Amino acid sequence: MKRCCVDRLACIELPSLPLQLLLQDQPEWKGFPCAVVDQDKPNGELLWVNEKARRLGILPGMRYGSALGLSSELRAAEMPAHRIEDAVQKLVEALQKFSPYIEPCAEEPGVFWIDASGLLHLYESLDVWGSAVRKALSAIGYVSIMSVGFTRFGTYAIAKASRYKKEGAVVFADPSQELAATRRVPLLRIGLTPKTLTLLNKLAVRTVEDFLKLPAAGIKRRFGDHAHRLHQLGTGDLWAPLQPAPPPDPHERVLDLDDEEKDSEKLLFLVKRLLDPLLLRLLSKGQALLEVTCVFEQEHGETLTELIRPAEPTLDAAMLMGLVRLRLESMKVHPGVTRLVMKALGVRATVEQLRLFVEKPKRDLKAANRAIARVRAAFGNDVVVRARLENGHLPEARFSYEAMTEVPEAQPRVVPRRSLVRYFKPTPLLLPPRPAREPDGWLVRGISHGPVSRSVGPYVLSGGWWRKEVERDYYFVELKSGSLCWVYYDKRRRRWFMQGKVA
Amino acid sequence: MSAAVAVSPTKAELHAMPFVRKLDGFAEEEAIFGLELIAGRLCEVSGEAALSLTISLVLQAQERSEPVAWITDKEHAFYAPDAAANGLDLDALVLAFLPDASSKARAADQLVRSGAFGLVVIDLAAEQRLPPALVTRLLGLAQKHTTAIVFLSGHETALGSLISLRATTRRTRRAHGEFVCELVAVKDKRRAPGWKHEEVLRGPTGLY
Repeated sequence: MKRCCVDRLACIELPSLPLQLLLQDQPEWKGFPCAVVDQDKPNGELLWVNEKARRLGILPGMRYGSALGLSSELRAAEMPAHRIEDAVQKLVEALQKFSPYIEPCAEEPGVFWIDASGLLHLYESLDVWGSAVRKALSAIGYVSIMSVGFTRFGTYAIAKASRYKKEGAVVFADPSQELAATRRVPLLRIGLTPKTLTLLNKLAVRTVEDFLKLPAAGIKRRFGDHAHRLHQLGTGDLWAPLQPAPPPDPHERVLDLDDEEKDSEKLLFLVKRLLDPLLLRLLSKGQALLEVTCVFEQEHGETLTELIRPAEPTLDAAMLMGLVRLRLESMKVHPGVTRLVMKALGVRATVEQLRLFVEKPKRDLKAANRAIARVRAAFGNDVVVRARLENGHLPEARFSYEAMTEVPEAQPRVVPRRSLVRYFKPTPLLLPPRPAREPDGWLVRGISHGPVSRSVGPYVLSGGWWRKEVERDYYFVELKSGSLCWVYYDKRRRRWFMQGKVA
Repeated sequence: MSAAVAVSPTKAELHAMPFVRKLDGFAEEEAIFGLELIAGRLCEVSGEAALSLTISLVLQAQERSEPVAWITDKEHAFYAPDAAANGLDLDALVLAFLPDASSKARAADQLVRSGAFGLVVIDLAAEQRLPPALVTRLLGLAQKHTTAIVFLSGHETALGSLISLRATTRRTRRAHGEFVCELVAVKDKRRAPGWKHEEVLRGPTGLY
């Protein structure tokens, strides 16, 4: 809380932005306990929950299945990352109407810092300005909280703590006032993890002031990087200037002609010269063209403006050129054109739209089939296989292999968040017994990898009672070398086994 | 429970599409470990996050309709449900189980020679020795058919001088069950080594 690159800084928070987006998509869920989950499965983790859910004891971090056990009325869905990114982008554009410098928080969607300097020439007070900002966000369906102060952490903490201010903004007249208010903010509000909060509560550290008095090195060692970063922000050690989002790109191309051009055929080629780079520009931003405006400036200052809108957003240049040609054929270009301006409006494109733009590779699947037949002939018929998912319960029953003779065209899915992949041992490796005392110095992969430094689990799996009962406690164990192993304790055999490793 | 929505790529996914990068003229320094970068080359990847980052490559290849083959042995196969959870089409992924490094390389020779594969992954596990003649042949075929050949090796040791790109990987934990997987180019015959590529991935279910 030492320095600031702007006179006045505001922080606006849209509490639980992904949840707000979910309720915009599903307005009929408003009366129910709701949550955003990372995956729509019983094992999915609750990431954000609303107040109704909190009152029922449903908290972020719980599994979806467990939460449903607490309330069968719980409504939950995933919120894809691209949807949140889109919303943040739109919010930045909405906020840019109130200040040119907006910085969205990279780690927490829904938090924005705004340069509020020099606004008193336009608004009666910063509170009035804050009201205008919040009204504008409310008009597009968002709930927000705002504080205006002098520092990044101060405004952030105050915005987080001022949940019940119905309109306007919390405005501080001088930095000392902001500092005093920030120090009183309960730790509960500043985004620390529940585990860290519990530990700090045991140490009677309950406010920002108490927290900032703790030594930074100790915070890092005992509570991890996230808490350390917040501490550094609070003390001002992590000071950084406001990093505003760039202003919107107009997607505009201009061509000045040396001589006037009346021939519509030649104009068509000139349009193509401008259209291709515009499409590439849109493509690089993951957008497709919604509409394009062609402005033909003629001699004597007259202009012809034509709006061309395809049936659906596209990146297909040939189709667009067809539309432009039809329009040019019906136009009377007299006197000749001396300047051509093209403005494109893009919308976010789907993967399919982007894929259409790409040259298809010329791979011959029949040649692939012949190649795998040769491999089978050389090494045996069961050598070439494909994996197939099964409805099993135990890890080894969740997939199988089947012989492969033909290679179909791949149909990959787009998933919101990708995950680490494990190696799987079909014959689990017997591990040395785990010593009974903690810290046990258990050497799972020998002395070179060091002992187990952290374990996550147990995840109990049991089944097969109708044939040969299996009862296993699965753990992820992290070794001192950084290696992450997937192990289990077989309760019936009283032995530890390695099922695989994360790599 | 979730409504079907048109899926748009995220910024990271977009950047991972090599054609986008090429068309937009991204800076050369902004290296993205993608299919475009390694097409027609032999590449060796090792380290803590080698498997996960290679699975990302397979996904990229499938998105570009490039057939992919994964050659390994049964004791070093990836866990298929994890791959499927990353969006991979398992039906279209050719898996070949061969017992030793030499057989793996000979099977790869047959597959790459067909010109039908865009990416061939050879998981060598702990084995490091490959007959140089086979590696030379694979290099010639990879260049001829613009096929990317990725060797997954257990150690950071060199497979040989014919490897065009050698990279090590590192995995670090971030908050909320996220892991940063970083790939560092140790050797790159087409540019200066030392460039990095990062992906943020979730832990498998249960790992936070």
